[in-house]
Amino acid sequence: MPGIIGAFSEIDSAVEAIEELRRTRFNELTVYTPTPRHEFEHALDAPPSRVRIFTLIGGLCGATFGYWIAVWASRYWPLVVGGKPIASWVPYTIFGFEVMVLIGSLSTVFALFALSRVPRLTMTVGYDARFSGGHFGVWVNTTSDRAKEAADLLRRHGAVEVRHEA
Amino acid sequence: MATAASPYPASEQRPNVPSASVRLPAVADYEQVDREIIATLRPTLGWFALLATAILCLLIGISAWTYQIYSGLGVAGYNPPVMWGVYIITFVFWIGIGHAGTLISAILYLFRAGFRTSIYRCAEAMTVFAVMTAGLFPILHLGRPWKFFWLIPYPNWRLIWPQFKSPLVWDVFAILTYFTVSSTFLYIGLIPDIATMRDRETNPVRKAIYSALSLGWRNSDREWRHFTRAYLFLAAFSTPLVLSVHSVVSFDFAMALTPGWHATIFPPYFVAGAIFSGMGMVFTIIIPIRKFFKLQHYVTLNDLDAAAKMTLFTSLIVGLAYLTEFQIAWLSGNKYEQQYFWNRVFGQWAWAAWIMIICNMVLPMSLFSQKLRRNPSWLWILSLFINLGMWFERFVIVVPSLSHEFEPWQWTTYAPTWVDYSILLGSFGWFFMWFLLFCKQLPIMAISELKEVVPPKRKHPHPEEFEHSRDEGIAHPQVTGEHELPGGLGAAGGGTH
Repeated sequence: MPGIIGAFSEIDSAVEAIEELRRTRFNELTVYTPTPRHEFEHALDAPPSRVRIFTLIGGLCGATFGYWIAVWASRYWPLVVGGKPIASWVPYTIFGFEVMVLIGSLSTVFALFALSRVPRLTMTVGYDARFSGGHFGVWVNTTSDRAKEAADLLRRHGAVEVRHEA
Repeated sequence: MATAASPYPASEQRPNVPSASVRLPAVADYEQVDREIIATLRPTLGWFALLATAILCLLIGISAWTYQIYSGLGVAGYNPPVMWGVYIITFVFWIGIGHAGTLISAILYLFRAGFRTSIYRCAEAMTVFAVMTAGLFPILHLGRPWKFFWLIPYPNWRLIWPQFKSPLVWDVFAILTYFTVSSTFLYIGLIPDIATMRDRETNPVRKAIYSALSLGWRNSDREWRHFTRAYLFLAAFSTPLVLSVHSVVSFDFAMALTPGWHATIFPPYFVAGAIFSGMGMVFTIIIPIRKFFKLQHYVTLNDLDAAAKMTLFTSLIVGLAYLTEFQIAWLSGNKYEQQYFWNRVFGQWAWAAWIMIICNMVLPMSLFSQKLRRNPSWLWILSLFINLGMWFERFVIVVPSLSHEFEPWQWTTYAPTWVDYSILLGSFGWFFMWFLLFCKQLPIMAISELKEVVPPKRKHPHPEEFEHSRDEGIAHPQVTGEHELPGGLGAAGGGTH
């Protein structure tokens, strides 16, 4: 999808540009920022991350597996140790807990990658090395008939550079 | 904002004094962060010398282990019934070292403690390498180390499974989980920083490596939105994990009926000791790093002061645990327990117990003094004593109990051999080799998190940032810190806002 990228050196200029872009119905925006900033979160008003769902499911599966493997293996070789039950839930809580943390954490990382769409082999259009340094980038997905309007808006708000990319 | 001109003449400026709203006053902008942190990656002659020393120590350890595999475990200083010695002591020591890293990177992240920002990357890397080191010791301790994987529950043709009621199997699960989660946490935090390095790199080979490692990260709002949430959950998982791991390690002892071990106080006692020892190692590492890489304006005296307060706090907990152990023995009415504790401090092992008490209880009391908390030289010297004291704490836990059990005819002594000492030295070589390689390949401070505390450039600076910079007389970025302040003990006069 073609679009316009604007590079800003000042954060408040970038935030004002985003707010006006959204007011003028440019809704397909991507912001590049060297570090997460609340100003952009508020300006973009994005929905909460769905990472937590993966974390919850991964954690529950991990806890279940941790208890299950210990109970199953104990019943498979039913040795009585210290007069305790074959499947003792108290020590097996260690396995339930540790595997919950392990699988929950790995699910969280999987969710981060899947939802952020990384790893990616090529940088998408619009990215500039400055956006990991001191500049903020605002990418506007737009059709050619509204490209000039978007570019003017970005320049008016103080973009140090505006580029058309396809 | 932080870069506003100071109204004070240069001679009167207060250098590098952080405050609540301006945490890194000598850091002007994002570009400075990139420039200065990436500059630390250039190898120096001193770095090569240190790496060579670490590798030499490692080779000594490997040689000793090879000799031990060839000759059998008898060449270590085991003397029945003292069948746990330097290897188990050093295993617990290195696991403990790792704990401060997770405390700083995860627990303090949840508590939003600002001082963690500049030191957490070092501490997190320290955790991963310390756990890698610790994980070797149970294997070193095995008679047939090549069979270590029998502890892992995997389907096998013999249809044999591990005994899930054994603390050794608990250890395997706890430590493997801890290692996996810690290294994942470290790598996830590194991705945006590697992307920054990718964008600054001009060498095509290094750029290709950084591109692969950064997974095509491009700092978009979508990536950050999921990243911050995932990081929070990883921190939330790591927090109970770190408490569980040393609790599980303490169960190795507490599950036995041996005098001095069979106590319910062990899990909290071990966790506090682990964090205390890890803080000692953090100081041992971070103070030379801030000095030799000239990063005093990132790891400020306020950061050291806050970390020193935490060290003092954990030292007090550890000291209380030592005293409580004696109280438990006294109130128990159990003569074996009482005999053992008497023997610990006034008998055969008094020298080791008093090294432990002096290093872990007495010397850290100096941190009640703000002057000493803000004196990097003292903190570094103290950290060496803490490392020594915490190794001896584990010695005092392991050896006196086994050498002084229930029957007097069993009482014996224990002395490590050159094989034990060589492997101990090798473990330090292994740890520091990885750490030194890490600090010249990847950023030792979290670039993207440092940028979070540096005010971004604004068209209209925030009033509090501007006012604050005027009131405090923000220093020139080149002014690095404590040496410019009056007073012999560092920057004792610095602000503690």
